[in-house]
Amino acid sequence: MNSLDEIIAVYMRDVDVTLIDASLRRTVEERLRALEEFEEFREELRAATEKQRDALR
Amino acid sequence: MTRFADLLKALAHAGVDFVVVGGVAAAAHGSPRATLDIDVVYSRADSNLDCLVTALALLRPYLRGAPPGLPFRFDAPTLKAGLNFTLTTDLGWIDLLGEIAGGTYTDLAPHSIQIELFGIVCKVLDLETLIRTKRAAGRPKDLEGIAELEIIKARQR
Repeated sequence: MNSLDEIIAVYMRDVDVTLIDASLRRTVEERLRALEEFEEFREELRAATEKQRDALR
Repeated sequence: MTRFADLLKALAHAGVDFVVVGGVAAAAHGSPRATLDIDVVYSRADSNLDCLVTALALLRPYLRGAPPGLPFRFDAPTLKAGLNFTLTTDLGWIDLLGEIAGGTYTDLAPHSIQIELFGIVCKVLDLETLIRTKRAAGRPKDLEGIAELEIIKARQR
């Protein structure tokens, strides 16, 4: 085992496998749609946060 | 926002030879990790560069992170003169990669799977090779993603 394998093994201990199992239950199309939905949510969240920040100035 | 489905459709409908790699390929294999762009390794054949221009030219591609107003022309000579392009388009962010740590389109296409989605068929780097390319890239930011992909691989056995 090389050092990269050892580092990856450490990361593997902390992977949330429930997220992986939930993802594997989806079709590929559903997974890519979820990426788009997340990005949409992220942009709305960012805009809302900026609006709130501006209101506090 | 990147419209992954529409970008893939634009490439496929123009007949572009490409392999999806990176975060979208990881998602296709089951990774729950978010990504903001789509990475594709494209064939450097002259005819394919023309197809890429057909696919993306109307989507106002521009160099991501570059100051506005640069005289960037998205045409076949530009693609031929360069190799890897990180672009913004009207459909979101796309990275056109002539080569990655695992090789070129010619090297990677035999290690891809053909998947049918959104009414098109496209090549996605297979899980084993995706892991290998991410390991070869050796980027610290990929380590957690590699760990997830290794777990997905183990779940498929």
